[in-house]
Amino acid sequence: MATHRFTPGSLERERRKQKLLRFSMYVFLILASLPIVVGYLWLFVGAFTGNLVYGFVPQELTVANWSFLWESPSPAWPNIWRTFANTFFLAAGVTVIMVVVSTSAAYVVSRMYFPGRSMILASTLILHAFPAITLLIALYYILRTLGLLDSLWGVILVRAGLMVPFGIWVMKGFFDDIPWDIEMSALIDGATRFQTFWKVMLPLVKPGIAAIAVFAFMAGWAEYIFLVTFVRDPNSWTLSSYINAIIGNYRFTNYGLLAAVSLFYMFPVLLFFLLTQKLLMKVTVGGIKGGR
Amino acid sequence: MASIRLERLTKKFGKVVAVNNLNLEVRDGEFIALLGPSGCGKTTTLLMIAGIYRPTEGNIYFDDVLVNDVAPKDRYVGLVFQSYALYPHMRVYDNIAFPLKLAKVPRKEIDRKVHEVAKLTKIEELLDRMPGQLSGGQQQRVALCRALVKEPEILLLDEPLSNLDARLRIETRAEIKRLQRELGITSILVTHDQVEALTMSERVAVMHQGVLQQYGPPDELYDRPRNLFVASFIGDPPMNLIPVEFKKTDGKPALVTDSFVLPLAEAWGEVLGQMDQGEFTLGIRPEDVRLSTEKEGNALLGEVFLTEPLGGGTLVHFRFGEISFRVLAPREIKVDVGDKLWIIPDQEKLHLFTKDGLSVREVGRQDAH
Amino acid sequence: MSSGDPKRTGRAKGYLQAFLFLLPGLILILLFFLAPVIITAVMGFTNMDYRFQWNFIGLGNFFRMADDFLIPKILINTLVYTFGTLAIFNVTFGLILALLTTSISERVGLFFRALWLLPRFTPPVVYAAIWLWILSPTRNGLLNGLRVAMGLRPIAWISQFPWGVIIITNGIIGASMGMLIFTSAIKAIPRDYLWAARVDGASWFQEVRHIVLPLIRWPLMFITAYQTLSLLTSYEYILLITQGGPFHASEVWSLYAYNKAFSAYAGTYEFGYAAALATVLVLIGTVASIAYWKIFRFREMMAQPRIEVS
Repeated sequence: MATHRFTPGSLERERRKQKLLRFSMYVFLILASLPIVVGYLWLFVGAFTGNLVYGFVPQELTVANWSFLWESPSPAWPNIWRTFANTFFLAAGVTVIMVVVSTSAAYVVSRMYFPGRSMILASTLILHAFPAITLLIALYYILRTLGLLDSLWGVILVRAGLMVPFGIWVMKGFFDDIPWDIEMSALIDGATRFQTFWKVMLPLVKPGIAAIAVFAFMAGWAEYIFLVTFVRDPNSWTLSSYINAIIGNYRFTNYGLLAAVSLFYMFPVLLFFLLTQKLLMKVTVGGIKGGR
Repeated sequence: MASIRLERLTKKFGKVVAVNNLNLEVRDGEFIALLGPSGCGKTTTLLMIAGIYRPTEGNIYFDDVLVNDVAPKDRYVGLVFQSYALYPHMRVYDNIAFPLKLAKVPRKEIDRKVHEVAKLTKIEELLDRMPGQLSGGQQQRVALCRALVKEPEILLLDEPLSNLDARLRIETRAEIKRLQRELGITSILVTHDQVEALTMSERVAVMHQGVLQQYGPPDELYDRPRNLFVASFIGDPPMNLIPVEFKKTDGKPALVTDSFVLPLAEAWGEVLGQMDQGEFTLGIRPEDVRLSTEKEGNALLGEVFLTEPLGGGTLVHFRFGEISFRVLAPREIKVDVGDKLWIIPDQEKLHLFTKDGLSVREVGRQDAH
Repeated sequence: MSSGDPKRTGRAKGYLQAFLFLLPGLILILLFFLAPVIITAVMGFTNMDYRFQWNFIGLGNFFRMADDFLIPKILINTLVYTFGTLAIFNVTFGLILALLTTSISERVGLFFRALWLLPRFTPPVVYAAIWLWILSPTRNGLLNGLRVAMGLRPIAWISQFPWGVIIITNGIIGASMGMLIFTSAIKAIPRDYLWAARVDGASWFQEVRHIVLPLIRWPLMFITAYQTLSLLTSYEYILLITQGGPFHASEVWSLYAYNKAFSAYAGTYEFGYAAALATVLVLIGTVASIAYWKIFRFREMMAQPRIEVS
């Protein structure tokens, strides 16, 4: 065996190889992400400039694209603020219903014994195999029968209902993590089962509630397909319907307006996303693992 | 094989200093142990030697070649993990062959070497199994095979025995030592178990909070601990450590506490008299004490508080006020709770430590410099 | 003691309480999940239209499907779209993103993962708007602007490359799911394995090939199966960006069903036929799931972790 196998000559080569590998990783990631970056950048640039030369070179700064805030671009369209309020109402409605319903159901599923418990768990799993979107036709029929067509309430109920199994699975995970001892000692200390739920368990699953609330709000805020299918009345439009109309009317022309309204719509999403992206990643993974 | 030299080695994780200014030399073919409680920096040191961690400061030399920037694969080290880290999706054979495959060794050669090393560790009949089907001891041997198959210059063992049951641990201890001798490979064992360290290695480095406390042969650590930490860490049952005051009563040197007075030999009196302090910590190993029903020489009287039969002997507990004192009595001596006995420490084997925790012997040696 | 067995009344009270907690959830799930499944299945055997009458016509809709001259085209579109997007983006690209973002510095990796997750949480209309600008056939779009700047003529991207457009636009959203799942799987690999491999002499590529990929086999298969079903039934972005056009060139099965039911250009609302189409799609999905179950031997994979624990 050679006396000096540890020739330091290998180190320079090894280092250079490592550096090159790192470097090419960054290059690949940047190139691959370019369409996303450019796309979102356009929302900002396009919203505040006049016509872009060659589609991407900004000319002068202007707020003309934002005139939709005080003056409707089309007489057939509703006031933007009303639309904004509708969007918020929809998102908030989905959030409240989905959080309340799935939290209470998850508590039962996680902590109480009752006949049919495992059946309910299994059926929420199986239902996930039926993609909501293929049920659209039947949902239309049901809403029509219930007289909820053309109403935001219909969309809220449908969206919340479709998210409930997901919410139950996520919240069940959070409830499962609470030691039984805590709940038992609350019962021994004289609390009823409901008081235990309300005063002891709920505060402990706050992070889970926050997680599904963010999820539900984002989903409600972004809702598109149920809205354009179930709601025609302009008085019940949300920002999705509004942009859908811009795309329909001015397809391939008024990009300034499109970018401005899109940015207006995106603003809360971006804010939420920047604040909660780590949480969103965790719940996306957790929801999948929970059987979504 | 290779010698190893660590020079002012320091590793920081953020603000936490895991290893602090470590100097250590390992001779070619030597077997040493890094011993210390968990979190003392021993595994971090090992991973720096393997090239997984980069030192924050300081240098690592193999055979006097600086290897700080050499990739793990070019360091010719074999590493056995505490978890064994056997790749769960590969057969035992493929696990062992993996380093050779990566080194693009010809297939026939791989086959020969795998069988050779499998024979060495007596696992030939396991080659076709999956790691999940093996017992802990078998997995351990496979991990050793994988480390040895590439004929490394240095073998690094990270708590290799801690996942084995007590009996198997003793067998494996001997097995690893046999292999190391046969191959003459420079080896570093990381362990928190002093028995492992003292029985297996030629020299032991005791670490605490990232700092090297003492480095020497097992006997030296046992007989002449440099400081309080080493004294308290090495030895089972542990050394009795008692805060005492050095005084001369009637011209005779003695160690005094609130509860007892222990007369000292003259030689000790001279050493302690030269020091500019009166407070010390007295260390007496339970086995360096004799019990007697009659007063002999420098002794103190105690009442037996509790006895623990250990099989080979009896651990006798005395209590002096707040201070408890353990003595390892040979089997032949019959002791009962409540007996009053004379405790006679072997004056030659007393340990005394200054307020800074340094051994008085050590202070003397430093003065001599 | 006369008021009956106290133990039993106590238990019944417990059940009642559980039931009350569950009730809102049960109603929502029954009304908007279970009922639609049944109604869709039954509706497929009627010729229901905008008058909403239950006229049962037996297998009529299914015979019609067999004769529908568009069906072969739509079937091919569906297969190309589903497996193209799956193979290029949802699995491969998701995997590459996960591997790269876990190999570079943690903060930069997190940034790229967040960037790729953003489209998933963007309102579909906004996401579509962005692509409609990029792909605009006029010189006001990004790609054609670039062409004009280089002295070339604009191209009608969507009409020219309908398959490419729907695969890329859906793929960029689809990749993020795999990315997240694979990332968490990679992070769950004990670092001892990776360190052992590094000491054994593995380069980054060898580490990925010999250690990481085999150890994340199960999430890889899971995402493949799961995303097949997602893609089979997703048409929101296609509806917004290409509307299935030009001339059904990018119309997939689920979008066809949607168009049959709700599209204004068909004039009539063919709910019965659309429901039959949806039923067939669910059947296709079920068959695909069973096939994946068999091919990937999921049962075996699920048992494996027990052996892995040592």
